[in-house]
Amino acid sequence: MQIDKDVVTHLNRLLAFELTSIDQYMEHSRRYEDLGLNKLYERINHEVDDERGHADLLIRRILFLEGKPDMETRHELRLGKTVPQMIEGDLALERENAKTLREVISHCEKVKDFVTRDMLVGILKDTEEDHAYWLRKQLGLIEKLGLPLYLQSQL
Amino acid sequence: MLGNQQVLQQLNRVLTHKLTAINQYFLHARMYQNWGLQALNDRIYKASIHEMKYADDIIERILLLEGLPNLQELGKLLIGEAPAEMLALDAKLQRSDIDAIREAMAICEEQQDYVSRDMLNHILDGQEEHVDWLDTQLDLIEQMGVETYLQSKL
Amino acid sequence: MYVCLCKGVSDHTIRQAVDDGLSSMRELRQQYGVASQCGCCKQCAKEVLADALQQKQRRFAQESLIDTDVCYA
Ligand code: FES
Ligand SMILES: [Fe+2]
Ligand SMILES: [Fe+2]
Repeated sequence: MQIDKDVVTHLNRLLAFELTSIDQYMEHSRRYEDLGLNKLYERINHEVDDERGHADLLIRRILFLEGKPDMETRHELRLGKTVPQMIEGDLALERENAKTLREVISHCEKVKDFVTRDMLVGILKDTEEDHAYWLRKQLGLIEKLGLPLYLQSQL
Repeated sequence: MLGNQQVLQQLNRVLTHKLTAINQYFLHARMYQNWGLQALNDRIYKASIHEMKYADDIIERILLLEGLPNLQELGKLLIGEAPAEMLALDAKLQRSDIDAIREAMAICEEQQDYVSRDMLNHILDGQEEHVDWLDTQLDLIEQMGVETYLQSKL
Repeated sequence: MYVCLCKGVSDHTIRQAVDDGLSSMRELRQQYGVASQCGCCKQCAKEVLADALQQKQRRFAQESLIDTDVCYA
C-alpha cells in the first residue's frame, strides 16, 4: 500500500540511525565489558536490543508501504575512547535521532500517514525518555561524584 | 462535639506545617530521581507520603472537633539546589515542625484535650525518627565527603 | 536554595545581582520577578537581600582598608 512516496525515504533515513546506533552500542558495550564495567555493559547491551526493535518496526513499515529498506547506509559513528566520551557520543547520536524523528513525524502528519506517525512517536518516546534521559543522568552523576567513584559504581 | 478554639488553632498550625512538608519532600524526592539518585528518591518520597498521612489524621481530627481544616495556607518551601543542601533544608524544616508540634501538645494538655495530644505525640514520634535519619545523613556527608556519600545513594 | 519558587530565583542569583549593583526589593521584583506571583517568598527574599548587602558592604570596607594600608606603606 502506498500513501506518500517521501515517507519511505524518510523512514530509510531513520533506519540508518537505528542501524548506526546498533553498531555504536555494540562497540561501546563490548568495550565496557572489556574494561570490567559490567553494569554499563548490561545497560548498553540492552540498548542494542531496543535499537534492533526500532529497526524492526521501521523495516516492516517500509515493506508494508511497498518500499525497499536500505540496510547499507549509516550515519556518522561517534565512538569514544574514555567512558565520558562514549556516553557523550551516544547522547549526541540519540539527540540527532530524536531531531530527525520530530521532522519525520511532522511530515507524516502533513501527508496524513497517521499510522506511521503513531509508530514514530513510540520510538521518539523511547529515545527521549529512556535512552537520552539515562545518558544525561550518567553525565550528571559523573559531575556530582567525580569519575573514579562513578566508575566504581558501575563495576 | 465542639473543640476548644485554642486547640483547633494549634491543630491548623500543625496542619500547615505538614502540608508544607508534603510538597517540599515530594519535589526533593523527584529532583533526586532526576539526577539518578534513586535511593534518596525512595526514602524522601516515602517521607512525603508519611507527611500526607499525618495531615490526614489532623484533618479528620479537626473535622471531628467541628472545626474547619485550613488546606489553603502553605508555608515557605525550602527547596535546595544540590543534594547536601536539600538534606540540610529538610532537617531545618523538620526541626521547625517538631517545635510547632511540641507547642501544640502543651496547649492540648493545658486544655485537657488528651486525644488530640496523643495523636500529636504519635506524629512527633515519626518526625523525630525522620530528623534523626536526616542528621545521620549530614554526618555521613561530613565524614566521607559528599561524593562518596552520593555514590551509596544511586 | 531557591528563594522564589514561582520565578525560580535562588539565593546565589540574588547575591550575584547585589554584587552587580542591585540594592532594593523593588529592583529585585522588577528585574527578577521575585515576590511578584504568590508572594510567599517576600520575607525570605528580604532577609537574603539584607544579608547580601551587608556582606557586600563589609567586603567593601575591608578592601578600602587595604587600600589605605598600601598608601602608607
Ligand atoms: S515564591 Fe516568589 S512569588 Fe511565589
Ligand atoms: Fe532507536
Ligand atoms: Fe536510542
